Amino acid sequence: MKLRTSIVAAALAGAVFLSGQVQAEPFRVGMECTYAPFNFKNTDGELVGYDVDVAKGVARIIGADLEFVCQEWDGMIPALLANKFDLVIASMSITEKRLEKMDFSSPYRFSIGQIVGSEKIDRKLFDDDGNPIPENFKGLKVGLERATTYTHWFEEVLPDADVLLYDSNEALYLDLRNGRTDIIMTNPMKAHLRFLSQEEGSGFKLIGPPVDEEKYFGIGVGIGLRQGQPELKSRLNAALKELINSGELESYALKYFPFKLHKDEWGS
Amino acid sequence: MSFDLYLIVESVPLMLSGIGITLKLLVISAFLGLLLAILLLLMRISGKWYLDWPAQVYIYVFRGTPILVQIFIVYYGFPQFEFIRDSIFWPILREPAGCAIVALSLNTGAYVSEILRGGVLGVGKGLLEAGSALGMSARQKFIYITTPIAVRLALPAYSNDVISLLKSTALASTITIADMTGIARTIVAETYAPYEIFISMAIIYMAFTWVLQKSFGLIEGYLGRYAKREA
Repeated sequence: MKLRTSIVAAALAGAVFLSGQVQAEPFRVGMECTYAPFNFKNTDGELVGYDVDVAKGVARIIGADLEFVCQEWDGMIPALLANKFDLVIASMSITEKRLEKMDFSSPYRFSIGQIVGSEKIDRKLFDDDGNPIPENFKGLKVGLERATTYTHWFEEVLPDADVLLYDSNEALYLDLRNGRTDIIMTNPMKAHLRFLSQEEGSGFKLIGPPVDEEKYFGIGVGIGLRQGQPELKSRLNAALKELINSGELESYALKYFPFKLHKDEWGS
Repeated sequence: MSFDLYLIVESVPLMLSGIGITLKLLVISAFLGLLLAILLLLMRISGKWYLDWPAQVYIYVFRGTPILVQIFIVYYGFPQFEFIRDSIFWPILREPAGCAIVALSLNTGAYVSEILRGGVLGVGKGLLEAGSALGMSARQKFIYITTPIAVRLALPAYSNDVISLLKSTALASTITIADMTGIARTIVAETYAPYEIFISMAIIYMAFTWVLQKSFGLIEGYLGRYAKREA
């Protein structure tokens, strides 16, 4: 009986192995699907954006079948760890803290934050060298997305600010406009596209320089995967390199921005 | 799946630091909701259609829509209107906690008024007839006969609603409020350990519920002391 089971098991394993040669391996990719222009649904309901393009480019090079899973941001890493999907391609920054729980490919986009506030703001928030002035943030109501690199930066650098945590990026803009918060910090590319360039963003502007301290913002955005898969990781890295060197990654960025979102040195 | 006990020890005090906000939401909303419920009840039993109908519509609307949607409408919907932002209510509606209390009170008021109505309708007809026979006015009958009995009858169902309100306060975490659930969600998003945190959270809520349940049990026993039958 036992012998027969193991024969069956071996046969099954063989079948799986063989079919693996013919059929592409499935990649389940987690993303928010609401984070324009990186991963979002367009008016036709199609999932598009920079992250989506990267996912498709990598899958094409590796030869994998893609399946997208939409997941709210604060459950993204638990869902990856619980095997709800295999990769996170969701503009997730590579940080020390996250590396304790998961693994990342090399970066495919840099990671920065910038403050958005009213044009009429009467406080000077940054000095002439571009460093924040902590006392001027005191009592200021700051809207941030929960558990993002921006919250860590604020906790450490500007602990006196009065931080409110939001569950979505849209809510940040809404409450800034409604006057519940004085400033918000988010990705300036996104703030420009979704808010500042729109009608509802009139009267608001980017304040101070972009912040990119590597200690908080990491080296950039990478593809997240569960730990213990060095072989998959090196295949992802090789695929990203190919996208960078062929100029394809830049073409993804140029669909949405007048500039590229990566450093060329990542390709070498 | 490892269960990180140290993480629980570390994060429970953090979550408990939100207990004050949870309690504040519960107590204020329960109080305002009860006032609203009494008003709605009086409208419902007034016997006048122009009071009864609006109350019925109100109750239907608030029982017919999810509390989360009501919170979102108050928090994100109201400020879209200029006249609300310019009104005297804006200092309350500007604050997330104000919005949560408004939404929770409006919601619980609708439920509680129906609970109270059940109590009022449960008062025996014979008792009211006896009151009339003694020459009591309608108002006297309501105050001295209907109210004490109705309160006793409605109490078990009311305690149910307060417990359910306690758990509804957790929804306040969706509008930036750092109540116990809000803090728990932030810890989960930082530590990626949903099991440890949410299970500890659940136990804290259960402990809370136990206290509420016991308190209402004591009040029930007290109010029902004359109604107890000798075994």
